[in-house]
Amino acid sequence: MYKHRLRLLVISLLLLLGLVLAACGNDDSAEPQDDPGETEDANKDDEKKEEEKEEASGPTSGGTLTGAMYSAPAGMFNPIFYEEAYEANILSFTHEGLVGQNESLEFIPGLAKDWETNEDQTELTMYLEEGVKWHDGEEFTADDVVFTYKSISDPDYVASGGIRTAYVTPLLGYEEYVSGETDEFQGVEAVDDYTVKFKFAEPNINPLYYASFTIIPEHIFADIPVSEMPEAPESRQPGQVIGTGPFKFTEMVEREQYVLERHDDYWQGAAYLDKIVWKVVAQSVMSGLLESGEIDFVADPNGIQPADFEMVQGLGNITIIEQPDFGYQIMGFKQNHRTADDVESGTLNPDNWVPNEKISNPEVRQAIAYAINREGLIDGLLYGRGAILNSPIAKQFWAYDESETTNYTHDPDKAASMLDELGYVDTNDDGFREDPDGNEWVLNFDYPTGNELREKSAPLIEQMLEEVGINVNLRQPKEMSAYVEDLTNDNSDWDLYLIGWSLGSADPDPTGLWGTMAAYNFSRWNNPDSEELLQQALKAPDAFEQEYRKEVYKEWQKLYSEDLPAVILYAQNSLWAYNNRLQGVEPLPFTMYNDPHLWWVNDAE
Amino acid sequence: MYKYIIRRILVFIPMLIVLSMIIFGLAKAAPGDPFTGRMLDPTIDPEVYEQQREALGLNDPVPIQYVNWASRMVTGDFGESMYYKGRSVASLIWERMPNTLYLGLFALAITLIVSIPIGIYSARNPYSIFDYGATTFGFFGLAVPNFFFGLIAIYLFAIKLGWFPSQGTITGTEVTGLQEFFDRIHHMVLPGITLGLAGTASYMRYMRSEVLDVLSSDYIRTAKAKGMSDRNVLYKHTLRNAMIPIITLMGFEFGALLSGAIITEQVFSYPGLGTLFINSITNRDYPIIMAIALLLGVTILIGNLLADIFYSIVDPRIRYD
Repeated sequence: MYKHRLRLLVISLLLLLGLVLAACGNDDSAEPQDDPGETEDANKDDEKKEEEKEEASGPTSGGTLTGAMYSAPAGMFNPIFYEEAYEANILSFTHEGLVGQNESLEFIPGLAKDWETNEDQTELTMYLEEGVKWHDGEEFTADDVVFTYKSISDPDYVASGGIRTAYVTPLLGYEEYVSGETDEFQGVEAVDDYTVKFKFAEPNINPLYYASFTIIPEHIFADIPVSEMPEAPESRQPGQVIGTGPFKFTEMVEREQYVLERHDDYWQGAAYLDKIVWKVVAQSVMSGLLESGEIDFVADPNGIQPADFEMVQGLGNITIIEQPDFGYQIMGFKQNHRTADDVESGTLNPDNWVPNEKISNPEVRQAIAYAINREGLIDGLLYGRGAILNSPIAKQFWAYDESETTNYTHDPDKAASMLDELGYVDTNDDGFREDPDGNEWVLNFDYPTGNELREKSAPLIEQMLEEVGINVNLRQPKEMSAYVEDLTNDNSDWDLYLIGWSLGSADPDPTGLWGTMAAYNFSRWNNPDSEELLQQALKAPDAFEQEYRKEVYKEWQKLYSEDLPAVILYAQNSLWAYNNRLQGVEPLPFTMYNDPHLWWVNDAE
Repeated sequence: MYKYIIRRILVFIPMLIVLSMIIFGLAKAAPGDPFTGRMLDPTIDPEVYEQQREALGLNDPVPIQYVNWASRMVTGDFGESMYYKGRSVASLIWERMPNTLYLGLFALAITLIVSIPIGIYSARNPYSIFDYGATTFGFFGLAVPNFFFGLIAIYLFAIKLGWFPSQGTITGTEVTGLQEFFDRIHHMVLPGITLGLAGTASYMRYMRSEVLDVLSSDYIRTAKAKGMSDRNVLYKHTLRNAMIPIITLMGFEFGALLSGAIITEQVFSYPGLGTLFINSITNRDYPIIMAIALLLGVTILIGNLLADIFYSIVDPRIRYD
């Protein structure tokens, strides 16, 4: 009886398992023969025909486009207060700045059609487009520009949650205004309705960057104090969020769907598309939804995963845009640690820093760099969808120059012989090198969770280093919030760390990450020569000339690659995908959402 | 009875205070704060975040922060979210609660409708093919992780067959009225089944063994000996007694549904309390973490209280005073 029961149970379990497996197998392999598959193929043929027909007749108006993002926006649709890429997805269709950037990252006219600077670049005069209408029909004027910058400079701005002060700190009189000493805002001034003047406290080498911030409407926010802006419906409710962009934010199902509709009075001509609908979908189902046509495009901030590239490409109805990203991943060397007192008080004082003897010799760092197989990481982890960077400046910038940098091509033998020469040899036959004094030499290696590829890279790097005899103590990964705190409060025993940076496209200046006093200089890199070069590259009036800056940065990159505060592991490519029914996409190096008013679909009714 | 209920509710208060202290302590003990995870943009001066910390009172000693929070809490003010700028915690929770509540009730309904009849049938026909089938399904349901079942369900029923939508709670803003109601149900089917799966399996097993137990007891034999019909034995004597442990289970189930919803909601991009909770934990959004954790605590306590009250309805021998 019992035997019988057991056997039955086993059989039924096996059957069930078989069924599940068969179901999965079928859907993967037998797809082309499936009925739905066939109809799909037939559809594709039809589509192709239609495409040909439509392409011949040019763009047509109408149609709805559906975009996907993996996480819902936090719900802040005010350009001066939003923080995340998810809101940016919506704001880049609804709002605009005075200037934009083209494919070679030069600033190009936006809401400002022309501009000029004075001799010493302390003043920038912008001439605005006339006849630009806000979504509610009001006219856009110089007062809106002044209002936007005045709001960001407001004494209450930061305490209310604003973080974009970088755009206003160089403005004339900012300190006095933000501290409440005066209520006269001099930084940006409206000369007449269509002329606005930016005044800087000091000669500014990249004034257009500071003038590029997205503009908000004065007539909407004039009566709302800055401290109440974040909760105001004008900052978060569809229909009440007003911009000048080609699409209006008209409807939402919070955290699920965000509907943008054509702005008929758009100053560059009304868009072809009727609507763009943003849907929030789980990343795991994205490729299926792309295939079925339920979503039409997926781009920033995550795009598609490198591992999914071939599969999505194989779908047939999808175009993939592959471009290098502006960010990169590094393995940093904690060259110095701070003292407990400095950490406690939050001071950054290089004079107090304690050198980390384990890796303070640049040649040791170089040897470690030679031991890391960066090509291998890109091929194995990124499926080849990435690039090697030899300096911490994004490749797309005019400033990137690897002609004189030391490029650490994978060479474990060289790494081993360098370490041998330096006296790091295995003296007690434990398989690992000891330091020149014969002491144990163990490098602590920490990394954060949150980026799957980066997580996977840590044990691989550990293995590469152990292959040349370096004893690495790979520790448990930490969740990002906790990790950054430990990375910042570095009176610790940290030696190697992983982190990723995403950089803006506006200016290549690396001071924010690699300047000695930069908070994000987690390596606590302290090299006076580097400091001098970085300052030189920003010094007026020489730095007004891009050629001059390029030369200085060339030298800095050489220095960086020799002193090596961090190994640049890889720059992952952005992978953006869209359905072939969408036409007129002209991606820029930093975004797919370029001129969306010129986008059209070939199956519009 | 009323005295009993009032006494139980009074006991809730110290329990909630202790609970809130523990959660507050734990949340604060976790390294990082609402800003550490975000401060990785080189164009933003960390000083900006320092000023915001100061403004939010995050630099005060933890006990003072607790007292500030608790004293606001007593007046019914849950505070402002630290991550969702300019939103009150109450408004965020109110906005998400219905979604989770509907999904939970839907899952519970599926669970009960499926598991109780199967359990009874299995118990009355033990060791039959049907019983083995149900047992197999039961083990399957308990063994398969929520998220995995959810993904398989999306793949088969949403993407391949196209029967059900895979994401969200509603097709769009254009559906209204009765259509909206059915649209929402339609969206709830897959997440509801996923969420209810583990519950269905365990309820079924409980029901089966309880009914079996009761069926072999003396009073049932007596009832049968009296010549009572099988039907009457089942509905009048067996079920009532077999339901008691199920009701206890349901008391706990409210909490279980909410925690299960955390994963299920993620897979189906279903914006409920579960996703809000997870996001708030990663963002260290303390006011929301506290509010949801307390809400969970209250739900479980009330669930248990309701279970106790139902006992006395199902089994008149149980009396509270």
